[in-house]
Amino acid sequence: MSARTINLTLKIWRQRQGEKKGAFETFEARGISTDSSFLEMLDVVNENLTLSGREPVAFDHDCREGICGMCGAVVNGRAHGPEAGTTLCQLHMRHFQDGDTIAIEPFRARAFKVIKDLAVDRGAFDSIIQAGGFISVNTGSSPEANSTPVPQENAEAAMDAAACIGCGACVASCPNASAMLFLSAKVSQMALLPQGRPEAAKRVLGMLRKMDALGFGNCTNERECEADCPKEISIAHIARMNREFLKASFFSKEK
Amino acid sequence: MTLDSKVPGGPIEGKWRKHKAELKLVNPANKRKFTVIVVGTGLAGGSASASLAELGYNVKTFCIQDSPRRAHSIAAQGGINAAKNYPNDGDSVWRLFYDTVKGGDFRAREANVYRLAEVSNLIIDQCAAQGIPFAREYSGLLANRSFGGAQVSRTFYARGQTGQQLLLGAYGSLSRQIAAGKVTMFPRREMLDLVVVNGRARGIVVRNLVTGQMERHEAHAVVLATGGYGNVFFLSTNAMACNVTAAWRCHKKGAFFANPCFTQIHPTCIPVHGAFQSKLTLMSESLRNDGRVWVPKTKGDARKPKDIPESERDYYLERKYPSFGNLVPRDVASRNAKFMCDAGMGVGETGLAVYLDFADAIERDGKAVIEKKYGNLFAMYEKISGEDPYTTPMMIYPAIHYTMGGLWVDYDLMSTIPGLFVLGEANFSDHGANRLGASALMQGLADGYFVIPYTIGGYLAGGGLEPVSTDSAAFADAEKEAVARIEKLLSIGGKRTVDDFHKELGHLLWNDCGMGRTDAGLQNALDRIPAIRAEFWENVRVPGGRADFNQSLERAGRVADFLEFAELMVTDALARRESCGGHFNEAFQTPENEALRDDENFCHVAAWEYAGDKKAPVLHKEPLTFENVKLTQRSYK
Amino acid sequence: MDWVIRTFSSSVGKKSLMAVTGLGFVGFLAGHLAGNFTAYLGPAALNGYATHLHELALVVKAAEIGLVLFACVHVTTGLLLFIQNLAARPERYSGKKWAGGRTLSSATMPYTGLLILSFVLYHLFEFRLNPPEPTALFAFVANYFKSPLNVTLYAAAMLVVALHVRHGLWSAFQTLGANHPKYMPGIEKLSILFGLLVAVGLGFIPIFFLFAVNHVAG
Ligand SMILES: Cc1cc2nc3c(=O)[nH]c(=O)nc-3n(C[C@H](O)[C@H](O)[C@H](O)COP(=O)(O)OP(=O)(O)OC[C@H]3O[C@@H](n4cnc5c(N)ncnc54)[C@H](O)[C@@H]3O)c2cc1C
Ligand code: FES
Repeated sequence: MSARTINLTLKIWRQRQGEKKGAFETFEARGISTDSSFLEMLDVVNENLTLSGREPVAFDHDCREGICGMCGAVVNGRAHGPEAGTTLCQLHMRHFQDGDTIAIEPFRARAFKVIKDLAVDRGAFDSIIQAGGFISVNTGSSPEANSTPVPQENAEAAMDAAACIGCGACVASCPNASAMLFLSAKVSQMALLPQGRPEAAKRVLGMLRKMDALGFGNCTNERECEADCPKEISIAHIARMNREFLKASFFSKEK
Repeated sequence: MTLDSKVPGGPIEGKWRKHKAELKLVNPANKRKFTVIVVGTGLAGGSASASLAELGYNVKTFCIQDSPRRAHSIAAQGGINAAKNYPNDGDSVWRLFYDTVKGGDFRAREANVYRLAEVSNLIIDQCAAQGIPFAREYSGLLANRSFGGAQVSRTFYARGQTGQQLLLGAYGSLSRQIAAGKVTMFPRREMLDLVVVNGRARGIVVRNLVTGQMERHEAHAVVLATGGYGNVFFLSTNAMACNVTAAWRCHKKGAFFANPCFTQIHPTCIPVHGAFQSKLTLMSESLRNDGRVWVPKTKGDARKPKDIPESERDYYLERKYPSFGNLVPRDVASRNAKFMCDAGMGVGETGLAVYLDFADAIERDGKAVIEKKYGNLFAMYEKISGEDPYTTPMMIYPAIHYTMGGLWVDYDLMSTIPGLFVLGEANFSDHGANRLGASALMQGLADGYFVIPYTIGGYLAGGGLEPVSTDSAAFADAEKEAVARIEKLLSIGGKRTVDDFHKELGHLLWNDCGMGRTDAGLQNALDRIPAIRAEFWENVRVPGGRADFNQSLERAGRVADFLEFAELMVTDALARRESCGGHFNEAFQTPENEALRDDENFCHVAAWEYAGDKKAPVLHKEPLTFENVKLTQRSYK
Repeated sequence: MDWVIRTFSSSVGKKSLMAVTGLGFVGFLAGHLAGNFTAYLGPAALNGYATHLHELALVVKAAEIGLVLFACVHVTTGLLLFIQNLAARPERYSGKKWAGGRTLSSATMPYTGLLILSFVLYHLFEFRLNPPEPTALFAFVANYFKSPLNVTLYAAAMLVVALHVRHGLWSAFQTLGANHPKYMPGIEKLSILFGLLVAVGLGFIPIFFLFAVNHVAG
């Protein structure tokens, strides 16, 4: 862990709470340890802003270990920055050079309103899950866990999909601001498990209609979501969801 | 006030069954007449909200994050215990109960722990039905792995993301109830006070974190599931928003705080790298199955690890604990790392790290095998440290990870304020002085899915809950007080940032109330905390305004509460004249440097009552009686 | 019937329409490609092929109607998707970098689509206005490609088609849910191959006429 320190120029999107417009502001970040994470670098900037009587930059974060899905911004044109399979909180400053200029702006989509600076409202994701992203089992009514075997291969594939952290990077990086990767991760997880089959048709139709209604774009198979997803979720799940959709639309009684 | 744990009589195996049979019920048609507030959407709060709504109660659920799915429970890696005995290796409800009581160094309430073990199997059934992609064998049946402190394999897991998957399961059920209109979800809200009317918990005051508006919410009962207070140490493996605020506000309204000094330090975390570090990252305990812990034999040996010959390395855990070796429990492993570093043997730039070396395992099993077992952890380590653990040993150091202490609750999980229930890490109930791996997830879900749905009914059916109005004085006063605090914080305009104070407090506690505690250190902390607190209220700088998305203000409020709570924690540590589990006072140790309990005088829960500002808290003791297990000295030699 | 509307007005429904009609065009293109390849074999082959087609007038008519219908669906749905997708991100990024998923082909679909539409309209207009005799098609084409403008236009159009197809083909499979780890890599390669075939096979025809045929003849 031989740390260097670097100096950076940051262009950060600033937008007041409740306002529709924002603009970039430029800051200097001096003496940043290359061992620190991107968010820790922002912490340093914010400490300095606070001490100099200015308002710190608002950004969402919580776990800081890449699992809660709370953090995220578009850094130099990439959701969660340039490293593959990495959330912003796990992006380390050793990937930057002394003297770099870094542009930081919020995830942008009609369905994700900016709250303030880099913080956006991703409540639309919750609405999508509420439209069917669950198995309707009441507490206490479940059968013995081993009474329904699940082929290991399916359990693993379901886990690949379930790894989604709901950060919204897929929407942010999709040229169409579509939420298909997010949606498909849940649909696919449940479609692969016997427990999820009874509601499969209802689920995919409900979730998809919700996504459409919320103003996300349409998937045109650009694969940008897959490339920027910090959990590297495959678009094969989108294909599975499409299959589920066609099945549900044409072969189920669900309307 | 005497503490009544309300543990039902009779043999331990039948207590819960008997209690359920005796609890009053709320008629199904009447359930919709009751509103329950649930604060927190982690495993405990998420599962409670969903289960209560399924029963028909109206539920209002609150969380700090933008979505209930992001509660700190999401970060749990290793797994969840249950006494299924699928591997046929001799597990049973009894053994899980026994291991948990012993692991907790005999400072937990037997009846609660037994119930936890008893419902553990139902949790797995529930989670499998929710579509949680647990690891499975080729047969398609559920797989298990081993975890510390147990001789059976009883841990269920979903890769290294068990907490995430379990939480998403609960979140799914919660989402279903939100869609059904039974749960009203309030994300980005912070509870700032509890409202007590006629001696009962009847509501809360929250701040909308986006707009800064204060909101008042009333209910017939309040369920607190706000997690642990590990962040009092500033650096911990907890998520940034973890706080003591909700619990502390309840404490100040009359809820007793139990065993605040019982904190757990996890031995395998990535070491601190610098002053701007904001949090620590856990490396799963499972690594100690194959990694060997060592330090150089000579003080200040600055050579690269691979240049230090075998004969000049000290594999101190293997040397001191030949039978358990690298697999001693968390508290023992942590303490020994500290001893080594204190003695100057630590490695890395800060000297606060020890090596966890996989070279032998890689040579023995091949890189492919190690990669299959720990690939994701190695990748995470490399991401953070920039070093390749396949070729150079990992550096690890202990870090604060979990808090066993919490609000005191009785067998019904009700605090000393009637109508205030406390679940999950926020209560003190099941882990005594040390928690075993994979049992926090179990407890959170047990509380939320299988305990509170019964016990809250008993309370609500008891009657006496007149309608309250959010316009009443109790609500107005609580809000006024909260606003006054906020205004005060914003008006100070001092010269130091919130984080700066938080770091100072954390540093002090880590040194004086961390892994190895001494009377002198604790006393020092007790002297210093009020001084830091005083300076905080005079010299902190909180930028921005009240009616805004103001993250500095959020943090300031939390740190202000940590500054009050810390004093109670240290007071508790000083009052407990013994060592047990995570509480290790160097004055009380066996000749082998193990924790030395004093069962005669300290076999009790220390429950603290708030006596008012500037008044010493009042200690109440709930004696712990062990009718089913024998108290023994733990030994891992 | 409500469900039909709901299905096809949803995002995946619209995409499925694009996929099915798109695959239809790929089929047509494959046929057209095979037919036009006869040009390389000389006047007899091309004229023979054209005459043969003329004899199948009914089939051709049916196919034409089908293609027009498909085109209507493909174009209107495509435009709708394009507009909706623009609206889904009202505020653009200051400088978006692509992460490696996007290709030139995928990024330009709406534009290449519109170019193809204009070309097809122009192409049809031209030939319908002044229909060649099937038995003299070769001569007609040879004459047509004496104009460097026509050569450039046609060759460029085929490049655009190739670009469109290179993304459209695999994308149709993906949209219809046919993404299997065993077959998808093959389908992706096929898309590239088919694109190349269109670009080279069809795009080369005018050049063939310009240099090989007209040079020899002229
Ligand atoms: C890195 C890590 C790994 C772990 N791994 C394991 C493991 O493998 N196995 C295991 O059993 N345990 C593990 N644990 C412990 C376990 O994850 C936690 O103890 C458990 O998840 C706590 O759950 P909870 O529901 O009580 O609280 P949390 O999940 O912490 O949830 C707290 C909730 O309360 C809300 N909240 C807090 N304060 C307020 C307020 N003032 N107002 C409004 N809302 C508030 C939060 O928004 C959140 O929704 C691990 C812990 C860590 C840190
Ligand atoms: S802060 Fe949790 S994923 Fe980045």
